[in-house]
Amino acid sequence: MLILDHVRRSFGDVAAVRDVSFAVQPASVFGLLGPNGAGKTTTMRMILGIYPPDGGTITWKGGVIDAHVRRRFGYLPEERGLYARMRVREQVIYFGRLHGLELGDAERRTDDWLDALGIAEYAKRPCSELSKGNQQKVQMACAVVHAPELLILDEPFSGLDPVNAEAMVRAIERLAAQGTALVLSSHQMWQIEQVCGSFCVIAKGEVRAHGTLAELRATFPTRTVHVAPPTAETRAVFDRAGAVERPTSDGSASFVLPATADFGALLRAVVEAGPVTSFEPEEPSLNDIYLRAIGAQTERAA
Amino acid sequence: MNETGLVFGAEFARRIRSRPYILATVLGALAIALVVEAPALFNRAFSSQAHAIVLAGPAALRVPAQTLFGDDFRVTASVDALPQPVTIDYLDAHGKAGAAVLLSQRGGRLYADVFTRDLSAWDDVDFRALAPLGVQVATGEPVSQTQRYVTVEKSLHSLDAKFADTQSAALGHGVAIGLVTVLYISILISAQAVVASVAEEKTSRIAEVLVATISPVSLLTGKTMAAGALALLQIAVWAGAALAFVPSGFAAFSHSSGAKAVTGASFAGLPQELALFVAFFILGFAQYATIYAAAASLISRTEDLGSVSGPIVMPAVGGFLIAQFAMAAPNAPFVVACSFMPFLSPYVMFTRLALETVPAWQIGLSLAINAVAAVACFWAAGKVYRVGMLLYGKLPSPRQVLAVLRS
Repeated sequence: MLILDHVRRSFGDVAAVRDVSFAVQPASVFGLLGPNGAGKTTTMRMILGIYPPDGGTITWKGGVIDAHVRRRFGYLPEERGLYARMRVREQVIYFGRLHGLELGDAERRTDDWLDALGIAEYAKRPCSELSKGNQQKVQMACAVVHAPELLILDEPFSGLDPVNAEAMVRAIERLAAQGTALVLSSHQMWQIEQVCGSFCVIAKGEVRAHGTLAELRATFPTRTVHVAPPTAETRAVFDRAGAVERPTSDGSASFVLPATADFGALLRAVVEAGPVTSFEPEEPSLNDIYLRAIGAQTERAA
Repeated sequence: MNETGLVFGAEFARRIRSRPYILATVLGALAIALVVEAPALFNRAFSSQAHAIVLAGPAALRVPAQTLFGDDFRVTASVDALPQPVTIDYLDAHGKAGAAVLLSQRGGRLYADVFTRDLSAWDDVDFRALAPLGVQVATGEPVSQTQRYVTVEKSLHSLDAKFADTQSAALGHGVAIGLVTVLYISILISAQAVVASVAEEKTSRIAEVLVATISPVSLLTGKTMAAGALALLQIAVWAGAALAFVPSGFAAFSHSSGAKAVTGASFAGLPQELALFVAFFILGFAQYATIYAAAASLISRTEDLGSVSGPIVMPAVGGFLIAQFAMAAPNAPFVVACSFMPFLSPYVMFTRLALETVPAWQIGLSLAINAVAAVACFWAAGKVYRVGMLLYGKLPSPRQVLAVLRS
């Protein structure tokens, strides 16, 4: 299990990571969310030993992460890079060898991953001749060829078309099924919601929320209610509760309520106000929770 | 295989197949062949015209003059008088001669009027060989007697046991010029190859994956070793070309130009000199390549490469220029001092070695200083490289780089 315990890191006067703690289980996919500059990449680089933390601890399976342990990790950075003139198969084998694989084993695994990612036909082509999406798949193959125990994926879906993004999702699911612990950051919320089992939202170098989607929903309870039919009396009740109405296209009314709203009292008031056929609180999406987690901090700061 | 070995293997395989490397190796060998063969070819093509003359004048002057000219000129025709005017057609008709030389006696002195198609080729010709004939004209004594007045017998006695005779000394000088040039070119080219490789990894962002996988020092070491091995391979190819072409080229040149042949010359220390060449190459290359790699790790865009590599090329240029000075004065105090300075000594000490007998302690001290400097360069470059490979954006200032070294 990967455990980060009150990790921090500064660059000169800039505190990139102030206080980050989370744990990632083997055979799971962990989503690291946050706005640009939140400290996600720095956190990932600290896990990989590229930067040592200024404070706190990072452990893998209860031990410190040294060079030997790191060779069992895999990394797909946000900024993609390949040796332009090196052939695809040769490149993946090279990275497999750098991660400690014997030549024969590296060749076999390379062929397997090129096949799985649908780029076997480009095996003998220089990487510079491939499209951006296929180059990204080659880089993914380089990161996973050695069957890493821990795989860090920084924005793996960035720049991919839906077909290639789906191939990436399948690769992530395959790795998790094989026991790899994955830490994944992305701004594509629907994809991260699809593949991740648990999440951590960080902003300004601090953890704002973490847990499974159910736990996050409990932490950030629903605030949107769909009501039908929308009458003047119903609207007056919501207005008194400080809600903001959102336009809908199905004839119902959608109200966004303050975080302190009492749903039980509101339901009773709506029923008393007139006939109600539907009163439906909406489960917040990961995107809603993310925005609220980031926004909550903004409110606190204000 | 360890990390360094893997990087070495991959880098070696990648670079040896690269077009610039193959081109440089093949073109270098061709250039050697061309440089060696060209003078002989040029000589063969043009000597017949440049050195062919129509000799004119009274027989009393022409006959001894023809003897005195010896191999300096080829007399295509010997005539009493020249037509008026002398034309190019006349020269062409007389063995395509380069000039017609009319000898005459005026006021007790020997005169030579030269009618040539190429003034520049004859501007520096001073007919020194005809000096005994000039004395004969002035004094009336025959050439056989006057010849001794215009020559001084010379006997050379070498005080340096390195070269047995002047021919071997000439060969040593040639070896010094050749090897120092190869040393300079190879160190610069191969260090630039390291720069290009580091810059590629940095600008393509592959560096981040590499340093997350293996230690930056292993990466730097493997990369530097591969570039050094490729450079030595390239030198071996060039040396093969030189061995194949130099003897025949030099012999052809000697034969056609009349130059003194030194092909039979040798000096016993050549194998030792070649071993020291390899040693100084490795140490010099290690210093330059690692510092260049560190500098390349600081840039974010290939356009910035010039701003970091420009200043650090200066020591190499300085070393090469001082080596040229050392060719003329290998014992000058400044040259001796430079032969112990890191970055400069690979060029300067090697030049001294090729030209004179350098005390063993000086060779040992220079090698030791260079070895320590190479280790220090690896240490410093490793520190800068480790930080530089992940540094993007504005080029760091020298003060920031110093701060990294102190950290």
